[in-house]
Amino acid sequence: MKTVAAICKRTWRRNWAFARLGILSNIEYRFNFAVDALLQPILTVLVESTLWLALFQLQGSETFAGFTRNQYLSYVIWSSFVARLTTNWMYEFRMINEIESGSLNSLLVRPISFFESYLSQFLGYKLIVTAASLCVPIGVCLIFDFPVFWSRLPLALLTAAFYMFFLYLLSFCVATFAFHLTRITGLSVAKNLTLAVLSGEILPLDLFPPGWHNFLVHLPFASGVYIPVGYLTGRIAIDQVWQAAQVQVVSLAGVACLARFLWRKGLRTYVGTGA
Amino acid sequence: MKKYLSLYFSFVRTGFIADLEYRANFLFRVLTDVIWYATQILAFEVLYDHTKQIGGWTLPQIRVFLGLLFVTDAFYMIMLNENLDQMTEKIRKGDLDLLLTKPINSQFMVSLQKVSASLFTNLVIGLSFLTWAIAAYPMAISAWRYASLVILIPAGLISLYAMRFFIATLALIFARTDNLQFAWYQIYRLGMRPDGIYPNWLKLILRTLLPMALIAALPADLILVDFDWRWLAWATIWSAVLLYGTHRFWKFGLSKYTSASS
Repeated sequence: MKTVAAICKRTWRRNWAFARLGILSNIEYRFNFAVDALLQPILTVLVESTLWLALFQLQGSETFAGFTRNQYLSYVIWSSFVARLTTNWMYEFRMINEIESGSLNSLLVRPISFFESYLSQFLGYKLIVTAASLCVPIGVCLIFDFPVFWSRLPLALLTAAFYMFFLYLLSFCVATFAFHLTRITGLSVAKNLTLAVLSGEILPLDLFPPGWHNFLVHLPFASGVYIPVGYLTGRIAIDQVWQAAQVQVVSLAGVACLARFLWRKGLRTYVGTGA
Repeated sequence: MKKYLSLYFSFVRTGFIADLEYRANFLFRVLTDVIWYATQILAFEVLYDHTKQIGGWTLPQIRVFLGLLFVTDAFYMIMLNENLDQMTEKIRKGDLDLLLTKPINSQFMVSLQKVSASLFTNLVIGLSFLTWAIAAYPMAISAWRYASLVILIPAGLISLYAMRFFIATLALIFARTDNLQFAWYQIYRLGMRPDGIYPNWLKLILRTLLPMALIAALPADLILVDFDWRWLAWATIWSAVLLYGTHRFWKFGLSKYTSASS
């Protein structure tokens, strides 16, 4: 028992050190951090809102595909925030670069795995950015009285956080392709763009034709934006969240196994000299 | 001028060689842009499933607008994007120093050195989509309106370059501006929609101070809706002013540049 506790303590200390590294390296340049945590979400909200405002203003109707203007605006505001919470392409690019350039060597000899070190840094970074930028959607929704079920916020954030792990694993899988293909940034961008559509970041999934909608909500990617934001803003009910959670658990397990397999396979072919 | 043209052709040749070296990545980059185009088309097609007009624009008009956007974007991606994306890193790591010592205009080098030759495919896709959208457009468009695209597309490209260049050049002053470069994408998104959806004050800003509407919205508006010579003249003059502005701003940025140690 004591040994387990000691291992947990050691793991925590090791990972916390990397999480702190993630935090410090991101707040080192404060202007850069302010842009990331505040300017970007505000800009996203402003840009996205214009489309929905125009739709309602020129249509002269109270609802669009069954939802009101304020429901769309609320969705846009929260989807921008949640999408930023889950996104990890910056760390995906870094992981790819480490493998491509051969600088992975220095990480392989450290007392922490490549997976763990990047995950800890990523979580540290997400912690501060989320804490700073959460005030944007909360503030805007309170000021303009947009429909938000505040009691649903913890579960919505939990769903998004769960998806964040799933996405990290997916990024890890993509990064392992760098062992074999050398230049794979194109694949990474293609994946991220596809996920933006499938998650409901570009448009709420309920706007798609019914057949598409049924298919898309049963994919694990819907938990990226549509499920948490739809639940928070009243578009979907709790049973859909549980259904999505089940899909998430199965997908997470599947991607974790795939990541493990790809990493081991990649390491076997890795020669450590870079691209 | 001849020296610069010859140099640029060398960049194109090198770009092809470099891009073809990693063929899988070449294919993925093409795939990425196909997905990006599909995403833009899909978003509007889904919205138009629920409405007849957005900001006074019908679906056939939006398709032409998207075609123009794809063509201008393809030129930008081939000629400029990679250079401007890497500019911050070049400045931060001191690689810019090497370019400054070359007997050639440093703005030319930093803006055009890398040609993304793999993305010529995107230009073909963009032009094909534009041709299809125009052919499917239910009303006839006069030839001289088409001819104005010879001016409007380069003007849009220059505006796009200028705005991106201004943001990238800020790295000379603030040292690390990675996230500001990502914020650029949000500004660019303003140009990825027809400006009819914006309130009049924003529409005016997007045609003047922050000329994102010059990328595709103004050209589409001029050839499809209301051809106004004054806007055509404005696009020409303003893009020239912006280009000169980039030159001045680059000089100003360089005067603040303290090399890699900054």
